[in-house]
Amino acid sequence: MEDPFIIAGHTIKNRFLLGTGKFASHLLMKNTITASRAHIVTVALRRIDTQSSHDDNILEYLPKECITMPNTSGARNADEAIRIARIARAAGCGDWIKIEVISDNKYLLPDNAQTIIATEALAKEGFIVMPYMNPDLADARRLCDAGAASIMPLGSPIGTNKGVCMRELIKILVEEISLPVVVDAGIGRPSHAAEAMELGADAVLVNTAVATAQNPVLTARAFSLAIEAGRLAYCSGISASKETAEASSPLTGFLR
Amino acid sequence: MCVRINGDNQPFASLTTVAALISLRKLRPETVVVEHNGVILARDKWTETAIKENDVLEILSFVGGG
Repeated sequence: MEDPFIIAGHTIKNRFLLGTGKFASHLLMKNTITASRAHIVTVALRRIDTQSSHDDNILEYLPKECITMPNTSGARNADEAIRIARIARAAGCGDWIKIEVISDNKYLLPDNAQTIIATEALAKEGFIVMPYMNPDLADARRLCDAGAASIMPLGSPIGTNKGVCMRELIKILVEEISLPVVVDAGIGRPSHAAEAMELGADAVLVNTAVATAQNPVLTARAFSLAIEAGRLAYCSGISASKETAEASSPLTGFLR
Repeated sequence: MCVRINGDNQPFASLTTVAALISLRKLRPETVVVEHNGVILARDKWTETAIKENDVLEILSFVGGG
């Protein structure tokens, strides 16, 4: 079955996007990326600690065939996100950018209004912008108009592993938004990822659930299979659920 | 003289260029990005960029992130 996944004209080879945070080591991260077969991986930009040594460069551990997408984590408003994106591009990380603007420290929920402003500015500068957002239809439409390459609604708050709590709203986005929908954040188990894909999401971005598992390599493989299964289920047009029972076997023509 | 690096005021006996600072801190040039007074500084400009009193430098690198 031909089922290409295209973002901004680029064919993305896997619907599993992987974050690189929280891994115990860069080598473990590298092995996990290989197991996941992810084509897009995210990284963050931080001030260096000038007091410690910096021999380990994360970029050297990322497979060459992967698209490295920096995020703007740490940005509290559009201006900071724009600044981080420009620095990341100047550092040689390419045009892909995940916009993440967060001013709420407790739930780490994104600020859609500032995200829209940053998306518009960066899209004009030629970035391929993938904004992390609260799943709101009007804001998703604004992001499309602002030049986003995809939208990335949260399943549930970052790092909570609660799954697709925003299920009904994400379903609406899938129906109404023509850009790729990547469910990002809160996906804690392969079954959550499969659920997002069954809803019709184009892809899923996972980090915490994989990186903090006892065996991240095995977990990545499990997520990869779940995402593929969920996608196949969506494409197959699985039947809707019903309130009352319906026999699977014929009820007539036997003994009565 | 005093230079603000990553939000901290740091004293230096003598400093000449951004390249000298990177070398002094034993940083691998290919792993860091430098912003000098709010302007992103390309690596090939480091040797010709003099650091002056009260300059503001941000030295950043990529880390794991989701």
